[in-house]
Amino acid sequence: MTVLSCSGLRRRFDDVVAVDDVSFTIAEGETYGLLGPNGAGKTTTISMITGVLERDAGEVFVDGIAMSTHAIAAKRLVGYVPQELALYPDLTGRENLRFFANLYGAGRERVDHVLDVVGLTERAGDLAREYSGGMKRRLNVAIGLLHEPRLLVLDEPTAGVDPQSRNQIIENVRELAAQGMAILYTTHYMEEAERLCDRVGVIDSGHLIAEGTRRELVERLGERDRISLLLDGDLGHATAVLGAIANVRGVAPHGQGLELVVDDARECLPAVLAAISTNGVVVRSVEVTEPNLETVFLHLTGKALRE
Amino acid sequence: MKVLSIGWINVHRALRDRTGLFFLVALPLMLVFVIGAAFGGATTPVVGVVGDAGALSAEPAVQVRNFPDESALRTAVEHGEISAGLVRTNGDTPRLLVRADRTGQQLRMLVTTSLTREANRIAAGEFVSAHTGLDRTTALSVVDSVRVAPVEVRVSTAGRVLFPEGYSGFDLGASNQLIVFTFLNALTTAAYLVETRRLGVTRRMLATPTSARVIVAGEALGRVAIALLQGLIVLVGSALLFGVRWGDPFGAAALLCAFALVSGGAGLLLGAVCRTQQQTTGAGILLGLSLAAFGGCMVPLEFFSPVLRKVAFATPHGWANDGFSTLTRRGGDLFTVAPHLAVLVGFAAVLFSLGAWTLRRAVTR
Ligand SMILES: Nc1ncnc2c1ncn2[C@@H]1O[C@H](COP(=O)(O)OP(=O)(O)O)[C@@H](O)[C@H]1O
Ligand SMILES: [Mg+2]
Repeated sequence: MTVLSCSGLRRRFDDVVAVDDVSFTIAEGETYGLLGPNGAGKTTTISMITGVLERDAGEVFVDGIAMSTHAIAAKRLVGYVPQELALYPDLTGRENLRFFANLYGAGRERVDHVLDVVGLTERAGDLAREYSGGMKRRLNVAIGLLHEPRLLVLDEPTAGVDPQSRNQIIENVRELAAQGMAILYTTHYMEEAERLCDRVGVIDSGHLIAEGTRRELVERLGERDRISLLLDGDLGHATAVLGAIANVRGVAPHGQGLELVVDDARECLPAVLAAISTNGVVVRSVEVTEPNLETVFLHLTGKALRE
Repeated sequence: MKVLSIGWINVHRALRDRTGLFFLVALPLMLVFVIGAAFGGATTPVVGVVGDAGALSAEPAVQVRNFPDESALRTAVEHGEISAGLVRTNGDTPRLLVRADRTGQQLRMLVTTSLTREANRIAAGEFVSAHTGLDRTTALSVVDSVRVAPVEVRVSTAGRVLFPEGYSGFDLGASNQLIVFTFLNALTTAAYLVETRRLGVTRRMLATPTSARVIVAGEALGRVAIALLQGLIVLVGSALLFGVRWGDPFGAAALLCAFALVSGGAGLLLGAVCRTQQQTTGAGILLGLSLAAFGGCMVPLEFFSPVLRKVAFATPHGWANDGFSTLTRRGGDLFTVAPHLAVLVGFAAVLFSLGAWTLRRAVTR
């Protein structure tokens, strides 16, 4: 079931068109990653989806409710974790949560629950400004979970945090998705997107230029998984044997060994190794290269994701 | 209620800030004390009189104010405009109404002594007239011509007192401090609103199922609540600690509320216009102090030239100041200060409309 559907989103700031004709959907339990360099228009897109920024054009539906005509009802279904640490530094974690719980109409017991979810129960009585960067981030996420939203929107929720807090946040997101929440996630970090996202949209200069699962995007670019083998023995024979395996699309000499182009490296690696060892060739090393989103990104935009 | 939630969070933050609390509570009351101590000795206590003041009008230590009837006198004493009132109608035993404060007790002594001395003088006159056959007037002038050298008593003070004896000048500074600080702190605490916007908390509120109108109303409520709290601290604090008289309680309460509205509105506008907290504090102090000066909170309005008086009444401070003077010095009440209230509410309405409009634009873009 589709939870978020946005179409034709457009917004300009003076002479900059920050977002131009962006459309995508997110289903229940799906995690959608919006990837793009700084200034690509991620935050602007998210702000229009969460109803905090007016749209020049386009429409947003959450569970079929239009943001343009039923903003309050739509907002009730959306949890928002903004890019900045939008909390009161001079209030405690619990006081911050209680305040937003009031605005969301969520009960007191939800405050304790989300504190537990993000692992801040023990520090709930401390002022937010005394928290570490990672704890502030976790509190920032907790606020977005107070009212059990159908759609959770996270704008770079892990920017500049310690690995422990980052893992905690990523685990939280995973669990929420597993419970059926639809998730819109933007990030700079490729590894995060690859770990978390079922589908990815690549945005650059306000345009959504590609969309799909990692594998779909990679294949659309003609990029394939590669297995590089460093071998001792009869390379000619090995070439013939390996070329006969299903899923192996090509075999070429590569220094002291061979390089295979395959459909799915993880799947066919056991077959490749088995075939070689039964033919008297010794494998000295194996290297698997799966083209990642970074590669996709570089291809599509000519830019690295992180400058 | 979301409006109350947002309003309360503002008060909560102001109360949590130690430095802020110093400016909110300690400083204004300290100033009431310091200014009261500096000017305290200068004012002579006032006693209200219905009927003939007699020898009281010649007493250097009291000032006499005449009242048309007993009920007006009683009201004035109850409101603390005067500390004692004397009812003296032909033939009846004189009756004295006193407040249960230091000045009241002091006046009781003074008035009793004065009345006794007056009775003694008349009795002595009767005695002279009876024994010499002189008529009363001549006899009294004979009595008056007898000079008794005052008994010399050397007085020295022992121990220490928190408030000097005969202290009564706090009233002078209190309403000025109330006006200055209510407005000033409403402006400087608008920095909280600017911070809320800068941190992205306001945008985040907008992402919750809360309309922009409710958010703006909540922030406005917060500003007014802080101003009202500030005013109450000065009003109640000065009355309890230093016995300051504020005149008619309804008039004083209404003026306080109206001026808190003006201050809150100004804070809302400043918080919506400014981009940084430093800007807000700077502009707040500048505006707060200059309006206070032009409004007669530093130098009394009575000393203003006619032109400056016009300027004073272009500021809310001038109106509030004159309103409080009307209550404390001219025996005014809720109805006498109605024009002041109307002007202040007008100021507030303009400031709130501008502030709400600007803030709403700044938040939703
Ligand atoms: N409030 C604003 N006023 C003017 N320009 C803005 C504003 N917000 C964003 N922009 C511009 O819009 C573009 C997209 O910004 P943004 O959505 O924040 O990108 P991202 O989140 O991907 O880094 C940028 O060029 C940015 O400078
Ligand atoms: Mg951004």
